[in-house]
Amino acid sequence: MSLIPGFGMVRGMALTLRRFFEPKATIRYPEVKADIPPKFRGRLQLLYDEYGTLKCETCFQCAQACPIECIDMGGMDTKGRFHVHWGPPETYGERREESALRRSGRPVPDPAYTHFEGLDIRALDGILESFDHDPAHMLPILEATQAAYGYLPVAALKHISQVTGAWYATIYGTASFYGHLRFEPPSQAEQAAAMAARRPADADFMAGLGASLAGRPGGDA
Amino acid sequence: MTAIARTWGRLTLPGKVVFTLVPILAALTVGLIAVIAIFGGAIWDILLANLGIVRFVIAVTIILLVTIPIAFLNIYLEMKVIALMNLRVGPDRVGPWGSLLSVVHGLKVLMKEDFTPTGADAVVFTWAPVVTYGAAVMTVLVLPFAPGLIAQDFNIGLLYFFAVGGMGVVGLLMAGWASFNKYSLLGGLRSAAQIISYEIPLTLSVVGLLILAGTMSLNGIVEQQSGWFTDWFVFRQPLGFLIFFIAATAEGNRTPFDLTEADSEIVAGFATEYSGMRFGFFFFAEYVNVFILSALAVVLFFGGWNAPFPFPAISIPIDLAAIGLPLLFLIALVPPIATLIFAAPFYLMRSSMRWWVALIVGFVLFNVVAGGLVFAWAFVSFDWVAGLVWFLAKTFGFVFVFVWMRGTLPRVRIDQLMGFAWKWLLPAALLNLFVTAAAVVVVGS
Repeated sequence: MSLIPGFGMVRGMALTLRRFFEPKATIRYPEVKADIPPKFRGRLQLLYDEYGTLKCETCFQCAQACPIECIDMGGMDTKGRFHVHWGPPETYGERREESALRRSGRPVPDPAYTHFEGLDIRALDGILESFDHDPAHMLPILEATQAAYGYLPVAALKHISQVTGAWYATIYGTASFYGHLRFEPPSQAEQAAAMAARRPADADFMAGLGASLAGRPGGDA
Repeated sequence: MTAIARTWGRLTLPGKVVFTLVPILAALTVGLIAVIAIFGGAIWDILLANLGIVRFVIAVTIILLVTIPIAFLNIYLEMKVIALMNLRVGPDRVGPWGSLLSVVHGLKVLMKEDFTPTGADAVVFTWAPVVTYGAAVMTVLVLPFAPGLIAQDFNIGLLYFFAVGGMGVVGLLMAGWASFNKYSLLGGLRSAAQIISYEIPLTLSVVGLLILAGTMSLNGIVEQQSGWFTDWFVFRQPLGFLIFFIAATAEGNRTPFDLTEADSEIVAGFATEYSGMRFGFFFFAEYVNVFILSALAVVLFFGGWNAPFPFPAISIPIDLAAIGLPLLFLIALVPPIATLIFAAPFYLMRSSMRWWVALIVGFVLFNVVAGGLVFAWAFVSFDWVAGLVWFLAKTFGFVFVFVWMRGTLPRVRIDQLMGFAWKWLLPAALLNLFVTAAAVVVVGS
């Protein structure tokens, strides 16, 4: 058939005529929205919050979760020498530090993020001494700190980071993960009740606190 | 004086315009009435004495006005049909199904800057689009749209058509030369070479038909094809039609022979330096050309305004004068009553519909039905309505084929174009002419 001159043109014309009657691929955008899969996220981009700081905490969960490794991050290595864009998350530690600190220091109504005050760290030093400055015992350290101060002041977290050598971001992540650890002082009534209960016996206070946290991680505090 | 100046100063801008225009218009009207009253009889006599000239002027005016909507329609068809063939929707924002988009394009072109490049030959540059568009418009003069609906029934209509149609290339060449641009010059020379090459097979392909028809009047050729569709010349001159169609495609600078404005090779050819309405005239001329070539193909080979089969003569005896005074009541009463009748089912069936929405729907429906009835009555009763419908239907069928080809075929090379014209089309046209002449001699003797 292809030997007949012009037959290819006829086939092409037939093709376009078929296309003429086929359903169209256009989506009339303002009236009709495309059927987008629910997990579709569009273009990957870092978002900024209302204060102009990056919302990214450099937690690397996205890069680790991405099945086809299209998410990548770059940064300096831990010694500040080489620019790297691959490797274990620990490689990017200083960026996590920076990011977490920036977020903790910013002016937001959340007390956990307010600029921290100076702190009497004698109690904290005692706690750290009892745990041998070991970052492996971070959760008990944090629980003891909260028991001592009533909450986790940012200054205490920074001091813990300094003394144990753990990244501030790691400590902040641990502290923000558990529901019974808090960054702000308890409210006035709660604090008064706690103080009143604390005078007679520390054990009663701890028991009450533990009961109020029953069933949650760290509930034996 | 100061009082007048003060009053003038207090007027707003529209007020100034109105106060200037009203006296002028009033004076003109009065003058015109006076001239008609005094010299009316004489003017009428002069017009009657020169009926041919009057008819010509009126026809040219009408054709000038008609070509613009035709060009708009062709542009819209091109956008829409190619879009549909590309699995797109195409224009759908302005007007129903985007049909007013080409009008918007026209307005846009009107508002653009008319730019003349430094070094261009300004006079030639300005007149080139006029020549091209004028050539396209003047060919419409001899096209028989319907029985009696023809501007000028020349006995050398076909010759005139080819002669004037070939004048378009002069405009393209003028544009190419005057633009002071290498690409424009290349485009202009290409168009000259191409159109002169294809004029020959185009004209030769029709000679066989002329031998059969025995006349060069397009009206006469159409009248010879009346009756069944088997009487159309395409069945007696199939090779001639094929050559004619290919050559017409090249003549109209249409894909696959649109080398004169091959944008991948020479920017936009002769139109490179043009902008604004001057470019618009080239653009319009191209689309008017598409219509004209389609119309010529229909007139020569597809029976023109003839129906494909002898239409049974139906006469609807409606004598409006016989109805008399009740006609007034009919005119007054039928539209509202019919609107109510058409609106009632919508209002009753859909409880969510407001009464006034139902009334609007009913009114639109009534208009559609009434318009359809009037159209059917006109189609049956008047020869020229039916003829015009058949002619336009066939012509736009051909326009569709042209657009369809543009949506499908790639552009040829310039050497292929020339080789095809001289090595294939010209011998084929000569063969067609020879065979036709021989057949006429054999059958006639």
